[in-house]
Amino acid sequence: MRIEIAGLTKTYRGKGPALDGLDLVVPTGMFGLLGANGAGKTTLMRILAGLLRPTVGEVRIGGYDVTTRTGRLAVQRVLGYLPQDLGVYPDLTAREFLDYVALLKGIDDRPARRRRVGELLDVVTLTADADRRLRGFSGGMRRRVGIAQALLADPRLLIVDEPTAGLDPEERIRFRTLLSELAGERTVLLSTHIVDDIAQTSRELAVLSRGRLVFRGTVEGLTKHAAGRVWTVVTSGPAPAPASGTVVSALPHDTGMRYRIVGPEQPAPDARPADPNLEDGYLALAQDAPLP
Amino acid sequence: MIAAARYELVMMLRRRSMWIVNGAIVLLLVLISVGQLRDVFHDRDAQLAMARAAFLIQLVLPIGYGCLLADRLIRDARLGVAPLLDATPAPAAGRLAGKYLGVCAAAAVPLAVVYFGFAALYAATAGRPVALAWAAAAFAVVIAPAVLFVGAFALAVPLVVPAPLFRVLFVGYWFWGNLISPAAMPTTAQSVLEPVGGYPIQELLGWHGDGAFNPAGPVPGASLNFLRPVASPATAWLSIAVLLAVAVLVLAGAQAFRARTTR
Repeated sequence: MRIEIAGLTKTYRGKGPALDGLDLVVPTGMFGLLGANGAGKTTLMRILAGLLRPTVGEVRIGGYDVTTRTGRLAVQRVLGYLPQDLGVYPDLTAREFLDYVALLKGIDDRPARRRRVGELLDVVTLTADADRRLRGFSGGMRRRVGIAQALLADPRLLIVDEPTAGLDPEERIRFRTLLSELAGERTVLLSTHIVDDIAQTSRELAVLSRGRLVFRGTVEGLTKHAAGRVWTVVTSGPAPAPASGTVVSALPHDTGMRYRIVGPEQPAPDARPADPNLEDGYLALAQDAPLP
Repeated sequence: MIAAARYELVMMLRRRSMWIVNGAIVLLLVLISVGQLRDVFHDRDAQLAMARAAFLIQLVLPIGYGCLLADRLIRDARLGVAPLLDATPAPAAGRLAGKYLGVCAAAAVPLAVVYFGFAALYAATAGRPVALAWAAAAFAVVIAPAVLFVGAFALAVPLVVPAPLFRVLFVGYWFWGNLISPAAMPTTAQSVLEPVGGYPIQELLGWHGDGAFNPAGPVPGASLNFLRPVASPATAWLSIAVLLAVAVLVLAGAQAFRARTTR
């Protein structure tokens, strides 16, 4: 399902625009949406999920105008949505909660619904805890319930907002793999501020800053943005303090500390150039057009 | 709608506080009305006994469920479930109706346990099984409309005022609007707007009160008597219809308010 966004602005009462004239086309497949906290990602996700009305602008998903009631309903029939701040009913078990959401998604056939809920509990490895009340679930377990509910109706459009928050490393890897597998014929829109989640799953991405699009292209393209701007410095002395760069990492080394720095200028005479990665590209972009 | 009703019912019935609050109120009712309950128990007329029992239950039990239901709608946002439910194709109005019916059904369960328990005890000890039929009738025309009326306000009003404030206001309303004598001050007590159900108790179940007290009808010298038409079976049905119509209007207002504020 192709998502076409044109001139999208969302202004909350008494605040500045959360989205400011956004133009973006998202093709079928996996697509990453990157941005700092407050960049407008969640507002965009909520508009796409039909939860918010844009102040101005057009949003079409699979040809449906989501600003109209009929368009919104058509999209919601094929939508799987995992909100950033996912909540659950503590008085229900995981199985009951999924059954409830499945009913709201129109899966009326009882045996089919039960089968689907069971499959998804298995996918998110919650089968053993399926009949426990959600009150006792950890944050990571609730997140997995959220992932399962998003997949209930075999969605053609999957919108996941910070999906790996609260997951342990193994769960994160498993979920990223699952998302990539799902993305074949579907559109999977992954919004995150965790650069590695995008690097491991998406070929194409967009970067938002202060409600505006500051990058739209491939992971390679954003990575190349940092070409010639990534350095490593090994020193036993004080940490380098580059005037216009950012220290990305500091790792212990045989002869001191190894610093990785992204910046337009060589941070120290003995600094060596290094190959950029996506995180470096994102930082380089932030240095060119400061992100919030 | 059915899904929402079903799961709201389940969640509400699993709420420990619902049983504790209702249990405490029933205990209080028994303590303060022990004399009246004894009178009811010894009334040989099963119809009147069930009407009086319904009236006693209606005096205080709605305070409990009115307060308990106050967080049911707003908690979806508080728990963070609302965005997830709003992103489903299930119509918001249908979900609201389902939630309303589910929580009202749950509120009615303890009432049914207490009331039908009393009716069964009465039927067994008095040897009058017909009391169970009269109890069912009283439940349908007196208790159920009150649950639906109170339930609508308890769901809707906390959208605009904090739930704790609603509870305080609701307890105040209950005493003012149902238990105060209309001769003492302007009140909706003994009117068609009274959820205690004076009109159906009097005209459909035949209990005309004790002594000078009549559950329904004009009160000499009282204000708001235009809300107290002469009691008759027709005005009893009118009272039930008014309560249900007000409930529907309140729910429609809640739905409109949510649609305006959430998107």
